[in-house]
Amino acid sequence: MSNTAASDDEVFKYFHDVKIDHDNIAHYRGLMAKKLLINRCDDCGNWIYPHRPLCPKCLSWNVIPTPVSGKGRLYMYTLIMQSRDPDMPLTEPIQAAAIELAEQPGLRYLSRVVNCPVEVLAHDMPVALTWIEENGRFWPVFQPTGKAHG
Amino acid sequence: MDVSGQYSNPLVKRMARNPLKDKIAVVGLGSTAYGRDLARSELSLGLEAAVKAIADAGIDRQEIDGICGSGMTPLAMGGAGFLSLQGALGIERCTWVKNGWLGSAFVYAVEAVFSGLCDTVLVVQTNLRGVGMSRAAARDPFRLRASKYGDVGGDVGLGDFAKRWFHSGEPYAAMMRRYMHDFGTSQDAFGLMAVSNRSHGARNPEAVMRNAITLDGYYGSRMIWQPMRVADMDVPVDCAEAFIITTAERARDLKTKPVYVHAMSLGGARVGEFYENTLGWTENAFWVALQGLWARSDIKVTDLDLFFPYDGYTLDAIAVTEAAGFCKPGEAGDYFKDSWDFTRNVLRLNGRTEVTTNGGGLGMGRAGGSNLYSEAIRQLRGTEGERQVKGAGTALVGIGSFFHDPSAVVLCTG
Ligand SMILES: [Zn+2]
Repeated sequence: MSNTAASDDEVFKYFHDVKIDHDNIAHYRGLMAKKLLINRCDDCGNWIYPHRPLCPKCLSWNVIPTPVSGKGRLYMYTLIMQSRDPDMPLTEPIQAAAIELAEQPGLRYLSRVVNCPVEVLAHDMPVALTWIEENGRFWPVFQPTGKAHG
Repeated sequence: MDVSGQYSNPLVKRMARNPLKDKIAVVGLGSTAYGRDLARSELSLGLEAAVKAIADAGIDRQEIDGICGSGMTPLAMGGAGFLSLQGALGIERCTWVKNGWLGSAFVYAVEAVFSGLCDTVLVVQTNLRGVGMSRAAARDPFRLRASKYGDVGGDVGLGDFAKRWFHSGEPYAAMMRRYMHDFGTSQDAFGLMAVSNRSHGARNPEAVMRNAITLDGYYGSRMIWQPMRVADMDVPVDCAEAFIITTAERARDLKTKPVYVHAMSLGGARVGEFYENTLGWTENAFWVALQGLWARSDIKVTDLDLFFPYDGYTLDAIAVTEAAGFCKPGEAGDYFKDSWDFTRNVLRLNGRTEVTTNGGGLGMGRAGGSNLYSEAIRQLRGTEGERQVKGAGTALVGIGSFFHDPSAVVLCTG
C-alpha cells in the first residue's frame, strides 16, 4: 500500500466480503496498512471492542482508533477440525484463539496462532502480533513470544 | 352465507382485561437528528438516543434491567439490537431483553415491566434510509454493505477471521477448555451430561438418537472443535413445538390439567456480540437469568422434581446446572458422579431431581430448547407413560446462550 490512507471506496473494495460500517471503517483502513487499530476512549482511556462509537465505561463519544502494542496472551482457544463447507475440507486444524491484548484485562481479539505446534498451545501463553498473507490480503495473527507455560 | 364471518363461532366470548391500567409510565425520552444521510451506523444513532433518554430520565444506566432493541432479528449484525446496545452502553445486568419494531416494541416493554420481569426498560428504535427505499441510498457503499451483510451471520466466516465468533459455537469449545483449566477438572462433567441425555433418549420413542452411549463412547466420538466433540452437540433435526398460554382463571375451565408458570427471568450481560469477550464463568447471562429467577421464585432449587438444562452444547447444560445452584461453579463433574443413577445410567440430582427425561437436544433432537418445555409440561400433567416421573410437581427449565437472552422458568402444578 502507499503511504496515503485508503479512501472509503478503496476500503470497501479491498474488504469486499466484510461488513464495513461507519464505526469500523477506520479499523479496516488500518489493516490495509498492516496496523491493528482498536477504539480507545480519549477521555477515560478505556479500550473498546468490538468497534463501537461510545465508551461503555464513561459514555464519552470521544473514541479514537488507536494502534495496540501487539502484545497479548492466549486467553482461550480451540482447534477447528472440521470446515463448515463440506466441499472444502481442512488440510490441517485451524488454531483459533481469543487473544487477550496487553492493553486491558478482558480486551480480546479473535485471531489465529501461527508458528506454534499444537502441543505448545497453552492458556495464558504470551503471544505477539504478526501478519499473514491470504489471497493477496494481509491479516493479523499471533505467534508465541517466549517460553509457554500453563 | 356471511363470507366475512365464516369462521365465527357465537359461543366464543371475548372479555378484554386490563390489569395494567395506570400501572406503567414513560419517564425518559431521547431523540437524534433526522437526516437523509447522517453518515452514522444504526448502532451509533441508537446509542445517542439511548444516552439522551437515560439523561432525560435522570437515572443511572445501571438501573436499566430490560432492553428492547431494534429490528425483527435479535442477532442481526451491526444494528441496534439488544445485544449490541447492552454491550455498547455498559449495562451490566438485564432480566429482560427483546427486539421489536413499529408499535410493538413499546408494548413489549410495557408488558415486561408490568409482568415484573424487569423494572426499568430502555426501548431503542432505529431506522436507516435503506437501499430499497431510495436510488441515491443504493449508491452509498455503507448502506449497500449493511443491506448485504446486516442479517444474522452477516460476514461471519468470510474474509475477516476476527468476525468468526460473532454469534458462533466455536468459542464454546474454547470456553470448555478454559473451564477445565480454571477449575482443574476433567471433561467428565460434559461426558456424563451427554451419557445421561442419550440414556433418556434411548427410552424415548420420539428421539432421533435411540442408542445410549457410555463415557468411553463419549470420549471416542468425533472431534469437531477440540476439545468439543460431536457428542457434546445437539442433533440437528426438523421439528416443531407449540404452546397455548392463557390466564390461570381461564385455564381452570379447560379440560387439560393446567401447568402454571411460577416464576421466570431472562438474562443479559454486557459481553455484546463478539463472544471472545466472554466474561468470567459466573458472570455470563445464564447466571443473571438464574439469579433473576430465584429472586422471584418461592420454589427453590432443592424443591425441584424435574430439571431441564439446555443442551445445545453440553457446556450450556453444565453452566445452567451450576448457575441454578445445584452445585458450586466448577464442581459439576464431582457432583454428577455423586448423583449418578447406575441402574438407568442417568443423572438424578439432590437424590430426587430427574434431568431432561426425554433426552433433550442431545438425544431427542435439536428443538432450540422447546422440547424441554414440552417434556416438562407433559411430565407435570402426568401423561408421560413409561417415563413419567411419579408425583412430579415442579420443574426448572433453563434455555439459552451464555450471551443472549437465556430464559429461566419454574413451572408447577399449583
Ligand atoms: Zn471513556
